[in-house]
Amino acid sequence: MNRKELQQIAMGWFEQQGWAPFPFQKQTWIAFLQGKHGLLNAPTGSGKTYALWVAIVLEYIKRNPEYSTKHKKGLKAVWITPLKALSVEIKQAAERFVEGIGVPLTVGIRTGDTDQKERATQKRKMPDLLITTPESLHLLLSSKGYDEVFQDVFAIVVDEWHELLGSKRGVQMELALSRLKTVSPRLRIWGISATIGNLDQAREVLLGPNSNTLQNSVLIKANINKKIKVKSILPEAMETFPWRGHLGLHLLDEAIPIIKNSRSTLLFTNTRAQCEIWFQKILEKYPEFAGEIAMHHGSINKETRLWVEHAIRDETLKAVVCTSSLDLGVDFAPVETIIQIGGPKGVARFMQRAGRSGHQPGKESVIYFLPTHAIELIEASALQKAVLKNEIEDRIPYLNCFDVLVQYLTTLAVSNGFYPEEILPEVQSTFCFQTLTREQSQWVLNFITIGAQSLQSYDEYKKVEIEADGRFKVNSRAVAMRHRLQIGTIVSDAIMTVKYLKGGYLGSIEEWFISKLKPGDVFTFAGRNLELFKVKNMQVLVRKSNKKTAKVPSWMGGRMSFSSEMSELLREELYMANAKTGKSKELKALSPIFDRQQAESIIPGPKEFLIETFKTREGYHAIFYPFEGRFVHEALGSLLAYRISLLSPITFSLAFNDYGFELLSDQEIDMQQVLDNDLFTTQFLHSDLRKSLNATEMAKRKFRDVAVISGLVFTGYPDKMLKSKHLQSSSQLFFNVFRDYEPDNLLFQQAFTETFEHQLEEGRLQKALQRIENQNIIWKPCKKPTPFSFPIITDRLREKLSSEKLADRIKKMTTQLEKP
Amino acid sequence: MKTKIIKNHRQTFELHPSGAAYWHEFNMLLIADVHLGKVTHFRKHGSAVPQSAIQHNFDQLNTVLQHFQPEVLCFLGDLFHSYLNSEWIIFAEWANKIESKIILVSGNHDIISPIKYEELDIHVTDAWKLGSIYLTHEPKTEENFFNVSGHVHPGVRLRGTAKQSLSIPCFLKKPNQMILPSFGTFTGKHIVTPTENDQIFAIAHDEVIEII
Repeated sequence: MNRKELQQIAMGWFEQQGWAPFPFQKQTWIAFLQGKHGLLNAPTGSGKTYALWVAIVLEYIKRNPEYSTKHKKGLKAVWITPLKALSVEIKQAAERFVEGIGVPLTVGIRTGDTDQKERATQKRKMPDLLITTPESLHLLLSSKGYDEVFQDVFAIVVDEWHELLGSKRGVQMELALSRLKTVSPRLRIWGISATIGNLDQAREVLLGPNSNTLQNSVLIKANINKKIKVKSILPEAMETFPWRGHLGLHLLDEAIPIIKNSRSTLLFTNTRAQCEIWFQKILEKYPEFAGEIAMHHGSINKETRLWVEHAIRDETLKAVVCTSSLDLGVDFAPVETIIQIGGPKGVARFMQRAGRSGHQPGKESVIYFLPTHAIELIEASALQKAVLKNEIEDRIPYLNCFDVLVQYLTTLAVSNGFYPEEILPEVQSTFCFQTLTREQSQWVLNFITIGAQSLQSYDEYKKVEIEADGRFKVNSRAVAMRHRLQIGTIVSDAIMTVKYLKGGYLGSIEEWFISKLKPGDVFTFAGRNLELFKVKNMQVLVRKSNKKTAKVPSWMGGRMSFSSEMSELLREELYMANAKTGKSKELKALSPIFDRQQAESIIPGPKEFLIETFKTREGYHAIFYPFEGRFVHEALGSLLAYRISLLSPITFSLAFNDYGFELLSDQEIDMQQVLDNDLFTTQFLHSDLRKSLNATEMAKRKFRDVAVISGLVFTGYPDKMLKSKHLQSSSQLFFNVFRDYEPDNLLFQQAFTETFEHQLEEGRLQKALQRIENQNIIWKPCKKPTPFSFPIITDRLREKLSSEKLADRIKKMTTQLEKP
Repeated sequence: MKTKIIKNHRQTFELHPSGAAYWHEFNMLLIADVHLGKVTHFRKHGSAVPQSAIQHNFDQLNTVLQHFQPEVLCFLGDLFHSYLNSEWIIFAEWANKIESKIILVSGNHDIISPIKYEELDIHVTDAWKLGSIYLTHEPKTEENFFNVSGHVHPGVRLRGTAKQSLSIPCFLKKPNQMILPSFGTFTGKHIVTPTENDQIFAIAHDEVIEII
């Protein structure tokens, strides 16, 4: 069959469905049939699944003209999805097409939810298309004979590649692909990505830099331009609107008419706690919504989540309060309106959420922005500009993730075993490890075989063994089992399941929240008030409670930061506050606050850098306003605190937000001295930052993930509740031993590199300092906290830095007695 | 090194920043929760904890023995972290060299057979009463006795002005009880909340400081 005839099969099916294929779908089919690799840039709900799945089936038909009678056994294509929740939807779409055109191809799912029996069946007989996650793909690589399983695979599709790209799961994918390129010689690699700032780089990372694969590839853009309209919800009286806060409940009444006037609404919150609270408060104040609104977040059990998703599609719900759990996948045509509560922190995310509404072609997407505190309105105004200018952030890929490499090599050692001379060139062909040196790879090999860089006496380290012919292999069944349980790069706290006493599963919750509760305490979960009965075997047993007041679990979540693009827009917007004309309606609404700020301090202009100092009961506050985003402020704050602490012994507690940062101390900072000593200089930036980090705790937190991913910390056997004997230890303790005894360990070093590149964004810091060098520093000693300072000084998440002697600090402190 | 002397039941205990306590009247050094063998135990299970951390425990032991030169060295439990492993050989060499008599009040982690200890001339017991002092691994209350123990790995969280906070290991002293901090290098701490009659002696590098 030639290409025309093949396409005709697909066109015929589309016609039967009453559809017409989009140009990007046809382009993808052709490129695939030409033997190309590629990246497809298409948004959720655009028909991207059919762009690639149809291509794969056509390729199969091309190779097997007698496809309807003769079925070739074995795995042919792999579809990677970052969320297992999306796999069912993809399976349905894939089956619909093959059944429609009468090709007997089977579709299977293999994720963490797949039961043992199903896995065993798959092992004997793989489906033709396997839908799976990066973690489950690595689990397949950890079983003996994986090379035979994958030998006839001719297509792998990495869906939602933008989600994986900026994370270690992306690195996991790069490594798996480097292996599959060898074991599946006919493999075609395709990615699907939403719009991000660095699409070309996304393709390079997926296919491998300087590779033949990349040479022979295309970037196809769906170019589905959608109109997005952003509307801010403004408080009626700005005077009573809070200066701080993150819940946004003050504007709850204003959100209700929007919900009522629209067929269906999604309310996006930034945290699961905020989601729970909004859901409860809406029902409390507007009980008429009972049965018409629902809640959706990652800790709620799967059945409920699926039910909610179906209900949205069937238009049986008026509104759903949700978190980023509804960011990806699942096409909800009927959603009419989106409300974003609090700053979304990213333009891409904001636009993606906006795109959740108005799916009909030509229809405008409407998104309402509901600020949680006054200053956030500036953000609303800046976001509108960002959407207009299409300023979308990059996703920064990771480099040299030794933790993932250690895990991957152990995975290969667990299954078939590996020869370094074969595997290392593959590893070096990936984007992540393109600069891996011979010394570094030798280090990693030593690490997994002798747990050190030289053999020591009395050592009993056991993991990977080197066999006589040079093969690296895990021979201990216990080591293999522990390793399989640890595969993956998502590190979370110990998770406990929440269950009713009488039975009935409600969801999962982090152990540390439950550890703060006593039996009898009431907490809010999955929209209900529950009384803790007892904790047993990692299960939280609860019963319903009629108590009105309850604790809300605050799930730990990474705090997001503004991108440099967004920060710049934010600064421009703020400078506008000084202007006489041309203000947005958000800025106009903020004028009472600006007046107050102006009276007590100033609103900085483009040439000014503002520092405010004042004293409260808590101590001496110094607030700096670079408007560079939270991460840069974290770096700049640590840097400045460190440099000031060199002048004289002092202890700081540091707080940051997207607008500025605070140094709080029990001693007054001599600000004149700070200015005279040129403490904002870019000289010695890296070494100063590095030293300041030693004092703060950032690298320690990064190390926690590194230690788990690399297998240093064993997180236990899930569900079995069998904590492995005498192998418990906190990653903090590990960090301390490495700091004291093996500071040149590459995994320990990695924690610092990651802190610099992904947390503190050293490159951006450099630019920010250069910008500040050209500004006039304006130091305003104030009498009391200013409106700008308020959201920062009330933040409770803090870093520490001290140059005082420990004994001197202790003498100034007290400990709290237990209340009798 | 700044130590701290406390008196109780007419007995004198000198608290050392290493976490050890020296009992003057009986010329005895008390040390809790060394967890020897823990590094090797982890390594044996594929977790590459730096091996050089092992030697530090012995260096610390030697330093504090040198300082007090006690007649008796009494370990208050959890001397060895788990099953026998190669660190035992290092321990045996060390135990043969030192001049003090060694006693082990055994703890929940001490699963190595007492016969192995007896071979090294180390006497193992579950608890030890000496005058009005009662030595155990887990904290115990016994009428008319002052109990000295380990097991808890006590630490304390301190708070100061300007939102400062700090957590450090400590000796926890109750009216009839004293709990020693863990001595071992590769051991954690458990934050305790003192009650009204408690005293806390915190360890700040080379100094023991009375907090309350």
